[in-house]
Amino acid sequence: MEYLYSVIILVGLYVILATSFNLIIGYGGLVSIAHPVFFALGAYASAILSRDFHVPVLLAMLAGFFVALVASIALALPSLRVSGDYLMIASIGFQLGLLELIKNVRFTGGSGGFSNIPPFLIREFGRESYVLLVLAVMLAVILLVWWISRSDYGRAMSAMRDDELAFSSMGRDAMWMKIAIFALGSGIAGLAGGLYAHYFRFITPEQFEILQSAAILTMVVVGGMRTTWGPVIGALLLQALPQAISFLALPPSILGPIQGLLFTGLVLVFMFFRPQGLVPANDIWRAPSAKPAEPR
Amino acid sequence: MAAVLDIKNMSKSFDGIVVADNVDLTLHAGRVVGLIGPNGAGKTSLFNLVCGVVKPDAGTVLLNGARLDGLKFHQRVRSGLSRTWQHVRLFPSLPVIDNLLIGTHSYPGERLFNVLFGPARLKAFDDAAREKGKDILAKIGLSKVANDLVSDLPYGQQKLIGVARALMGDAKCLLLDEPMAGVEGQAYQAMQRVVREVAESGVAVCVVEHNISFVRDLCDEGVFMFAGAIMARGAVADLIRDPQLTELYFGH
Repeated sequence: MEYLYSVIILVGLYVILATSFNLIIGYGGLVSIAHPVFFALGAYASAILSRDFHVPVLLAMLAGFFVALVASIALALPSLRVSGDYLMIASIGFQLGLLELIKNVRFTGGSGGFSNIPPFLIREFGRESYVLLVLAVMLAVILLVWWISRSDYGRAMSAMRDDELAFSSMGRDAMWMKIAIFALGSGIAGLAGGLYAHYFRFITPEQFEILQSAAILTMVVVGGMRTTWGPVIGALLLQALPQAISFLALPPSILGPIQGLLFTGLVLVFMFFRPQGLVPANDIWRAPSAKPAEPR
Repeated sequence: MAAVLDIKNMSKSFDGIVVADNVDLTLHAGRVVGLIGPNGAGKTSLFNLVCGVVKPDAGTVLLNGARLDGLKFHQRVRSGLSRTWQHVRLFPSLPVIDNLLIGTHSYPGERLFNVLFGPARLKAFDDAAREKGKDILAKIGLSKVANDLVSDLPYGQQKLIGVARALMGDAKCLLLDEPMAGVEGQAYQAMQRVVREVAESGVAVCVVEHNISFVRDLCDEGVFMFAGAIMARGAVADLIRDPQLTELYFGH
């Protein structure tokens, strides 16, 4: 049962990560690879605060959300002032640099990892309660992104993605909109980090490296960008596949590379045969009553 | 006659190519100024300088007496400037009416806070903005395409929608960049009528246009630009008759 719970929690957390990343790259059109770093920031912040500073776990998790949010603003503000391309470059540097920092300072446990993270809920209410917590947060995040994408904010995000200069010419502030999207998406990743840390109770920097970036990106692209269910299905599929492979009794030296191949291979296959992903995005702004216009 | 937009000593060059050479231009409420001249004369560049899309080497812009110089494009728009684009630049993934909604003067939905905590306020805004958008669409005779995606519409209609979108924000000064290029038939009449009505409502209008008959019929004053400099101003009919300007326009 414990194994099953772990799998459900992992799937739930990756749905949260993929959904929040879909907000950034899909709806916001912001290319960044640093999503796992905000996941890491949330995990480390929550773990350190609760273990070493005795902050209640729930507060520590919320702090993880805000640490990731503030860090993402610090990354986005200087790079988005220049242009969107710089965000991607800066995000690569940010990911490499921050993980290197985590490996080399003492209070994070260094490259050996951070252990003995205080548990949450499990002792009092059993593992099931934690599963429910993760699933509840997952549902809330799916609903939140769905709500935003269909709101007036979603309309503005569509317009901004279509044509940023025209968007500015309507009196809209594209830069702050991008920063807000990036900050919210990254904050959610930080919250997922806190949820991870207090269940598995051990984190290492290498869990948050570039393979994770590839995994989350694959989930969104294969599932279907700019859709509500695409990232959910993508996360389910791409979490289930490695689990299934691990039953094949392959030696670990093969297992690791196979997962990497799986992610990149899937992206390539989808790029050629189904670029819209498993769930194709529809025109959410087209009024249901309006029929597609006939050629005039 | 109140001065709305005041361009003073505006200069700009790109690697030695002069696009604005000490330009002085004042737009007045209720009047339509036609900016004419050959390609490369600096007409669109002047719009870009006024909007802050391009930073000037020297010069200043005032809107109703307030300096715009330090402001970003979207801030200038919020203070009452509005422009259209030669190549329309509509939002292709949005229906016509939603293209218009983005252009309202204030758009509470651009703040996440309002989206999450103020749905009632957003609803009220949406209803009011939709009404306004429908009114403008009715004026240009495009009510029936309100819910169509703009990318499905013919080019002339897209141009009209570009102007309609620019009118959503209660602009005090409207800059139209080649509104007639690619527009013919019914859209031609509609465009003329709309621009005239906008001017009559007290907006200062400036039109960059190669369609001389459109400029002659519509504009109260013509300004002839060449190599970034204003060469002549006056009644459009007089400018057209000037042999020197004609030579500059058509080359040798």
